[in-house]
Amino acid sequence: MGDLEIWLRNATRGLAADSAAQVRREIGEHYESAREAAIAGGCPADEAGRVAMKALGDAKTANGHYRQVLLTSGEARLLREGKWEARAICSRPWLKWLIVAVPVMLVEMAAVVYFRGRIGLARDLLLAGIGMSPLFAAMLLPINTPLRGRIFRYGKWVAMTSAFVMLLGPEALKWSWLLMTCLWMMARTDWTRASIRRKLPVSEWPRHLYL
Amino acid sequence: MNFKGTLPTLILEFLAQEPSHGYRIAQKIKERSEGVLDFKEGTLYPALHKLESEGMVESYESVENGRSRRHYRITRSGRRMLANDRTEWRQISRAVTTILGEA
Repeated sequence: MGDLEIWLRNATRGLAADSAAQVRREIGEHYESAREAAIAGGCPADEAGRVAMKALGDAKTANGHYRQVLLTSGEARLLREGKWEARAICSRPWLKWLIVAVPVMLVEMAAVVYFRGRIGLARDLLLAGIGMSPLFAAMLLPINTPLRGRIFRYGKWVAMTSAFVMLLGPEALKWSWLLMTCLWMMARTDWTRASIRRKLPVSEWPRHLYL
Repeated sequence: MNFKGTLPTLILEFLAQEPSHGYRIAQKIKERSEGVLDFKEGTLYPALHKLESEGMVESYESVENGRSRRHYRITRSGRRMLANDRTEWRQISRAVTTILGEA
C-alpha cells in the first residue's frame, strides 16, 4: 500500500462513502499536480512523490477538518433513515392520521377521566398529551424555513421537558435520570441533525432536518 | 506559518480574481505570501467545502490539460463576505501594528 493510500485511509476514516470518494478524488488530483510540478522543477520521481506527500500535511488533522464539513457515515445513515421514515408515513395516509390522533386521544381521555372525578389522572394524561403533541403534530405544521424549524425545535424541547417536570411534580429532580434516559436518543438525533444542518446548504435539507 | 481564520478570506480573494481549482489556490497563496503562508492541503479543501456549503463559492467540473478537475468560483454572497473581511482585517491589522509599534 502506497503512502498516498495510507494517508487517504486515515483522512477519510468515519466519513460517508460519498464524502470519502470526494476527498479521494480531490486529494488524488492535487497529489498528481504537485508531483508533476515537482518533476517539472527538476526533482527525481521518488523525491517528487515525497514532496507532494509532505504538502498534504497530517492525515489525522485533515480527518478532523473533513469531519467538520463533510457528512460522516453516521450522519449519512440518519439522513437515509429519516427519508425512509418520511416516505413510509407519508405514503400511508391512515398511518399519518393514526399517529396524529395519539395526543388528541390522550387529551380526550383526560377529559373523560376528569368528568368521572379522577382529577389527578386527568392532569397526567393531559400533560402526556401536551408533551407528546410536538412530536406527532410536526408533520402537519408548515415547518419549511430554518427560522420556523428553530422555533419548532425550541418549542418541542420546552413542551416535553415541562410536561415531564409537571408530571413528576416535586419529585422531578429525583427522577431526572429517567428524563435523561427517555430523551437521550432524541437528544442524540437532534445533535446529529444539527451537525448535518451545518454541513448541507438549506436548499438540500430534507423535510425531517427542519424538525 | 499560517494565521488561524485567514484561509477562507484568502481563498475568496483569489477566487474573486478568477475561478480556480484547489491546487492553484494553494500555490498562489504560497507564492504571493513568499512562502510565509503555507496551508496544508488537508486544511485547504475542508475550508473550500465549508465555503461551498455556506454558499460563498460554487464548484463545477472543468477539463484542464486533458484532466477533469473541480473548479471553484466566488458567488455574490462570497464577494460581500470578502468585502466585510477586508474591512475587518484592515482594522485588526492597524490595531495590532499600533500596539506592537508602541511596545
